[in-house]
Amino acid sequence: MGRLAVNGVSKIFGEPDDPDSVVALADVTFEVPDNQFCSILGHSGCGKTTLLNIAAGFERATSGALTVDGAPIDLPGWRNTMIFQEYALFPWMSVFDNIVFGLEMKDVPRKAREDITRHYITLVGLDGFEAKLPYQLSGGMRQRVAIARALAVQPSLLLMDEPFAALDAQNRAFMQDELVRIWQREPKTVLLVTHSIDEAIKLSDCIAVMTSRPGRIKEFVKVELPRPRDEDDRSYIELKRRLRDLIRDDFVSR
Amino acid sequence: MATSPGGWLRLRLLRVLTALPNFILLAVLLVVWQIISKIWLPSIDPYMAVLMPAPSTIVVTAAGMIASGELFYNLAASLKREAVAFLFAASAIPLGIAMGWWRLAYHQINPIMEILRPIPPLAWIPLSILWFGIGDEQNEFIIFLGIFFPILVNTIVGVKNIDPILVRAARSLGASERRLLARIVFVGALPQIITGIRIGLGVGWMALVAAELVGASSGLGFLINDARSMLRTDTIIVGMLTIGIVGLLIDTAILALGRRLLPWSPAMRR
Repeated sequence: MGRLAVNGVSKIFGEPDDPDSVVALADVTFEVPDNQFCSILGHSGCGKTTLLNIAAGFERATSGALTVDGAPIDLPGWRNTMIFQEYALFPWMSVFDNIVFGLEMKDVPRKAREDITRHYITLVGLDGFEAKLPYQLSGGMRQRVAIARALAVQPSLLLMDEPFAALDAQNRAFMQDELVRIWQREPKTVLLVTHSIDEAIKLSDCIAVMTSRPGRIKEFVKVELPRPRDEDDRSYIELKRRLRDLIRDDFVSR
Repeated sequence: MATSPGGWLRLRLLRVLTALPNFILLAVLLVVWQIISKIWLPSIDPYMAVLMPAPSTIVVTAAGMIASGELFYNLAASLKREAVAFLFAASAIPLGIAMGWWRLAYHQINPIMEILRPIPPLAWIPLSILWFGIGDEQNEFIIFLGIFFPILVNTIVGVKNIDPILVRAARSLGASERRLLARIVFVGALPQIITGIRIGLGVGWMALVAAELVGASSGLGFLINDARSMLRTDTIIVGMLTIGIVGLLIDTAILALGRRLLPWSPAMRR
C-alpha cells in the first residue's frame, strides 16, 4: 500500500518577509496512486530535490503536507526510504550487511531478515557478491546494492534522487531497464527525481513537470505507453517532444 | 593474487633483500662509531671512552640485561603504566563522539579542553606528585594526559568528517539516534580514532619516560636515570634503544591492527 498525496506543499528558505528568502516550492499538489511510478522532471534548481527531501522527512514543508495512505510524512524512516545519487552505501559493511541494515533497524528477527536479504540480493542480481565491500564494486553494482537495501525494508513510498546520474550512458540505460524489471516484479509507489526526459518516459506511469522559481507543477502527464518502452515508437517521440517543449518554455522564460 | 605459502615467503625475502641497501649508511656509521669508541677515544682520554660505549659493548650489555631479566622487568613496568593510562584515556572516545555530534556538548566542553590541551604533560608533574605522591598512579596520570588529548581531538574530527549522506541514509532506513551513533558515527570515525590512538600512544610513551625519570622505582625511564648515577652509559643507551624500538613496535602494531580491522578505509590502505 502507498497512495501518495502531495497537498499544497510550499517551501520557503529564509524568513517569509525577508526579501532574500527563496520560494523553492509554491503550492505543489498532485497524487500518485498505489504502486505507480512517478517522476518529477525539471531543470536543476527547480525545487524537485527539495520536494524529494520533504518526502524523505529530511526537510519540513513551510506549508502543506505529504501523506501516504492518509498518514502524514514528517520524519525520515523506512516507510519513505530514499535511494541517493551517490549510492550512500556504508563503506565498512559488506553487500549483505548493507542490505540487512534496514531490517536490523526494523528489528526483524534474524532468520527472517537473512531470508529477505538473500531474496533481494538475487532480485537485483548480486548473487556471489554478498561479502564484497562497496569499494570493490562498480558504480552500477553499488546502485544495485542501494536499490536492494531500500526495497528490503518494504517502504510504502520509495524515493529516488537521480539514482543513475553518476553512471555512464550504457550503464545508465541498462540500470533503467533493470529498475523497470525489478519494479514490475515487486511494484511499489515510487517518486523519482530526474532532469532526463528519456529516463522519465522510460520508467514512469506519470510525470510531474516542474518549472522553477518558484517551483510549481506545470503539467502532470500520464504515460500510457506499454512497457518496455520503445524509443522509436511514434507516441514515445511525440511525448518526448511535448515534454521537451514544456521544459524549454521554462528555460527560455528564466 | 593467491600465492602459495612458499611464494609468499619468497616474496617476503625478496622485499627484505631489496630493502637492504637502505641500511648502508647505518652500517657505515656503526663501524665508524665502533672505531671511535674502541680505538680513537681511548687513545685520547679513557674517561671519554666511558662516555661513549662502543656498539659491541652495548650488544654485550643488552644481552646481559635480557638474560638477567632486568630489561624485561623494567619494560613490563613501563608497558603496564602505558596500558593503564590508555584504558583511562580511552574515555576520550565517547567524549569526542559526544563533542563531535552535539553542538551543545562541543561549545560547552571545547573551551575547557582548549585551555588544558596546550599544557605539556610534563608541566603536570609537580602538581601530580602532590596529588598522587610518587608511584604508579602519578606516572599513569602523566601518561594519561599525553594519550588523552590526541585521541579526543581526532575523534571529534572523525565524527565531524563523516559523510552526511551516510547519516541521512541510515536515518532513511529507520535508524534511531542511538543506533545511528553506534553503527554509523562511531564506526565511520574509527579510522580517525585509530590515528588518534597512534599519536596518543606515541606522546604517552614519551611522557612515560619523563614521568619515570622523576617519580618511579621501576620502568625504562627509571632504568636509564638510575644507570646515570653509576656512570653506566652502556645501560643508558640500551634503555634508550629499547624505548625507541618498543615505541616503534607499538605504532606498527596499531597501524597493522587498523589495516586489518578497517580494510574499507582509504586512510588505512595508504
